[in-house]
Amino acid sequence: MLTTVEGMQSEIFVPVTPKPVFSELKKPLSECKVAFITAGGIHRKDQTPFNTSGDFSYRTIPFDSEADELMVTHGGFDNSDINKDVNAMFPIDRLHELVDEGFIGSLPKETYTFMGGGGNVEKFKNETGPEIARKLKEQGVDIVLCTGGCGTCHRSATIVTRCCEEEGMSCVVIAALPPIARQQGAPRITAPHVPIGSNAGEPNNIPMQTAIVKESLEWVRDCPSYNQMKVLPYEYRHNV
Amino acid sequence: MSITKETLKLHMKDPAIFCCRREKGLVISEADLEDPSLFDDMVDAGLLTLSPDGLKIEQVLGSTLLQDVEALTPITAEVLDKVNETASPAPEKAVEKKTAETTVPVIRTENKGDGMIHIEIAKADHIEGLKLDVPAFAAGSAPGAALTESFVPVPGAAPSGEKKVIRKLIKKHMKIIKVELGDKTSIKDGVLTIDKSVVDKAVLEDPLCKSLALDVIYPDQRHQYTETIMDVCPIATKVEGELGEGVTKVADGVVFMLTGVDEDGVQVHEFGSSEGYLDEKMYFGHPGCADENDIIIRCHAVIERLTGMTRPGPFAAHKCQDYVIQTIRDELKKYDGEIVREEICEDVRRSGNPRVVLVKEIMGQGAMHDNVICPSEPCGILGGQKNVDCGNVPIMLTPNQVRDGSIHALTCIGPATKEMTRHYIREPLVEGLAGDTELDLIGVVFVGSPQVNDEKLWVSERLGSLLESLDIDGCIITTEGFGNNHIDFIQHIGQAGKRGIPVVGVSFCAYQGQLVVGNEYASAMVEENMDKGGFENNVAGCSCVTKEVAARAIQMLKNKMAGVEIKPAEKKWNNDVINANNRLLGLPETVLLDNGTLH
Repeated sequence: MLTTVEGMQSEIFVPVTPKPVFSELKKPLSECKVAFITAGGIHRKDQTPFNTSGDFSYRTIPFDSEADELMVTHGGFDNSDINKDVNAMFPIDRLHELVDEGFIGSLPKETYTFMGGGGNVEKFKNETGPEIARKLKEQGVDIVLCTGGCGTCHRSATIVTRCCEEEGMSCVVIAALPPIARQQGAPRITAPHVPIGSNAGEPNNIPMQTAIVKESLEWVRDCPSYNQMKVLPYEYRHNV
Repeated sequence: MSITKETLKLHMKDPAIFCCRREKGLVISEADLEDPSLFDDMVDAGLLTLSPDGLKIEQVLGSTLLQDVEALTPITAEVLDKVNETASPAPEKAVEKKTAETTVPVIRTENKGDGMIHIEIAKADHIEGLKLDVPAFAAGSAPGAALTESFVPVPGAAPSGEKKVIRKLIKKHMKIIKVELGDKTSIKDGVLTIDKSVVDKAVLEDPLCKSLALDVIYPDQRHQYTETIMDVCPIATKVEGELGEGVTKVADGVVFMLTGVDEDGVQVHEFGSSEGYLDEKMYFGHPGCADENDIIIRCHAVIERLTGMTRPGPFAAHKCQDYVIQTIRDELKKYDGEIVREEICEDVRRSGNPRVVLVKEIMGQGAMHDNVICPSEPCGILGGQKNVDCGNVPIMLTPNQVRDGSIHALTCIGPATKEMTRHYIREPLVEGLAGDTELDLIGVVFVGSPQVNDEKLWVSERLGSLLESLDIDGCIITTEGFGNNHIDFIQHIGQAGKRGIPVVGVSFCAYQGQLVVGNEYASAMVEENMDKGGFENNVAGCSCVTKEVAARAIQMLKNKMAGVEIKPAEKKWNNDVINANNRLLGLPETVLLDNGTLH
């Protein structure tokens, strides 16, 4: 016989997906200005590192930065892949190659990165997100690609991506943890089979990284409606 | 957007709201109603305000509208010609409760091995306290199965729940009153002396560990700087039997505390790291932490640069510390000082009681997010297997194995919400469930949280099959940390829920760790947070499973198994809800620590 107690209440709220936000892409990819933002804690080596226990500030990264001028400060996942190749999270070299190839039109002068681990939801939603979105919009950006590292990082990434979408840019979250991007209301999602920390593909695997970025751009073009996900057929496992 | 007949069936008890403007004279059908699954979003967006006077869908179907009503307006009795009669909630609950009781099969009461079926009816309509002993069939012919059909219909038949001890573990606690560093490791008259040169040998255990230093911190010396706390580890050793049985000696009044930085001075697993003044950086008295009066032996490791956020680096520090502890364990085995307390731990079956398991989701994402399972010595390293290497799959331990130090935690990134090694040797949920005479704790499942999303789902499927095959009546699932591990956590809850197993979830969520995913089975949830801002602060062991958390979780599980309602959560973290539950159970208030976290 079980002792029961009337009147108890569940203590933890289960989230609902926020209201839809979706800006249709209206020009060919080859004419688009494409920005890449990340919640994965990437910054220039000469900048102040993020506070790994939670930080809603952002860093400005000129797109002419060299990959080896960048580093990661993020405590939410194994950093070894990014230490090997920053393109695994922030594929700056691949983006320049895609401009040279004519696959996309151009890159903005600068972009913005943050560390979304343990991110403060209200701050990202009401301050950091709108500010990043405004600065990208001012540079004439058409498309925003975004990655995030750990779980709450995907949440922060999605919040900022939604702000960009609300400003009229067409955005996709390249997710290692797609359930979070979906539940948090990412406008579009691509999901390669990768561990957290290597959303944009295996370190130093240029063909894989290029394919993930290209197919994510194509999903920005082709995704029919809000919160739709495309699973990308690239698999990478690392033995940590 | 109107709803279909199928959707309608799922939402008969949800609020009735018109999807569009409807005019006087309309006979209401499903085509006129908005989909209730959208209400949360609509309320959030300010499109809809629900009213306590609003009727439920089952109350309005077929009724005629007496006046025009706008879209997204709750339908109330005033605008209708009639309101459908529906069963009031009270009798419904009684029915559910009764069902829950009567479905406990008599089969569970019988198996005492004496050839008799023992039935005890604690309370029925006309009988109270009746015991029946019925001869069973010949041994080996599964008598219970045959008898189930004829005996199950007896309403209110209570199971025996009689305790059967499977194995016993005795923990002999020996008091340490003084710790000093000297020339030879020994324990004499309560004084532990540690050979100070042991660190020179210990550091050779792993090339990634560059140096190791010991010092002793007495309770009155807590206000001193410490590097980040990676673990708190008891000193315990087997003197008889394997983990979970026989005799274990535990040194009371003293614990090891592992701290670490890399060669560049970067804190190991620097993410909510807890460097600072020790008295401010540990929640003394919580299960995973040092107690107020403990002597702390601080073991400080310096590991190779840039290895703090990889898997081998922090492990090297744990491994080298374990070498030091082993030299003390060897002395403790021989020490014949006074036994101040004998703790008897039993693995028991209480056949006939509801069968429950505790599922503990542990870290398994690599880096420092790992755990060593079942080492040779309590809380040790050697002889154990790493959770990550085991593929994070569910592993069943007996309650005694857990209480005998089967888990060595390597998971102290964000130490406020992580369970350190000491936590497991005195886990409040294990103690609470194992000691509860109304339940039959079948075991404790440890399941890792992999790094890759596909693997999370794969591991969770395996857990689901395990839970099903255990034929349990309920389970409690805990997790540590927040964020990506909540994907697995919610999956696990879903695996139990979709099999009809009552499930209670326990986690730190609050503000910063609010769930990133959810499902409909996460309806009985217990919050671990003890930070005022609802953040993961940098106080080791602050927001974790405490006695109070365990008591609330166990009670929620009993409610769920018995069909007693648990009210849905508020839409935001609110510590008042937690304290209201505390008051219902006569528990002390959950007082939040003001640690200056942002909100």
